[in-house]
Amino acid sequence: MSARGIWRCWAALMLLLALTTALAFVPLGSAQLGASLAIACVKALLVLFFFMELKGSNPLIRAFACAGFFWLLIMIALTSADYTHRTDQRVPVDEPG
Amino acid sequence: MTDEVLTFQYADAAQQRDAVTLGMWAFLATEVLFFGTLIAAYFNYRIWFGPEFIAAARMTKVLFGTINTGVLLTSSACMAMAVSGYEAGSRRAPVLWLIATALLGLAFIGIKGVEYWLEYQEHLVPALSFDLPRYGGVAEIFFLFYFCATGLHALHLLIGISLVIWLAIWIGTGRIDRESSTTRLIGLYWHFVDVVWIFLFPLIYLAGRSG
Repeated sequence: MSARGIWRCWAALMLLLALTTALAFVPLGSAQLGASLAIACVKALLVLFFFMELKGSNPLIRAFACAGFFWLLIMIALTSADYTHRTDQRVPVDEPG
Repeated sequence: MTDEVLTFQYADAAQQRDAVTLGMWAFLATEVLFFGTLIAAYFNYRIWFGPEFIAAARMTKVLFGTINTGVLLTSSACMAMAVSGYEAGSRRAPVLWLIATALLGLAFIGIKGVEYWLEYQEHLVPALSFDLPRYGGVAEIFFLFYFCATGLHALHLLIGISLVIWLAIWIGTGRIDRESSTTRLIGLYWHFVDVVWIFLFPLIYLAGRSG
């Protein structure tokens, strides 16, 4: 990757960092988490594609790179599906059992 | 660790290069899941404890976290400069960029250390010094997550810093072959540690700021 490309990518990352930090102080309600995660994904993709050179690497390497994140998505989706649909009361943390 | 000569199982240098890169990505996929379990736990806590958990996140030091994110992103750019200089055949520039990378990594650890110290003084460290009556049990769970996640991240960064210093010495003293993939592979590891932080930062520091 060219020096120019590297520092362009760095500038984009810094802009996104400023944007996500500023957005965190704007009252967006329940959209807050989604917005900050969306920006984090864009930042991660910039690092993965340019710094980690997935752009231009062969398809097998890309498949390996995707695999970890794919399994992670399954893990998060299934455990979150469980927790969001529990109807039992949770044990209060601050009261003796 | 250096692949100075083409080892016998490969047909050519390009195949060897692809194979070692693939091996590194296979390792990184296990690391994605390693940190991913922590992040999955975070989401479950957030669903389960709701506003109390988010309120605890507000006690983290957002200024320190933001500066540290900037430091780490810059270190990644320096690492990319080191790799691109090395692949272009230069010897001196990559060593300097690697030193810059290691120094930024150490700066991150230093800032994190100050943050931990302040949290210790505020009695926010579970098991060691936690003011339970004041902050409550959900906050203790949040800070347990916080110290596990940032502590494991810092450990990875320390490993990365050691590798980068070792690599700078090896390139500087000419003990590494020009065709070697080692620089690129250590670069991949460094950037991965950066990616982990990119996700930890909003989850830990930015949650509940506008509430």
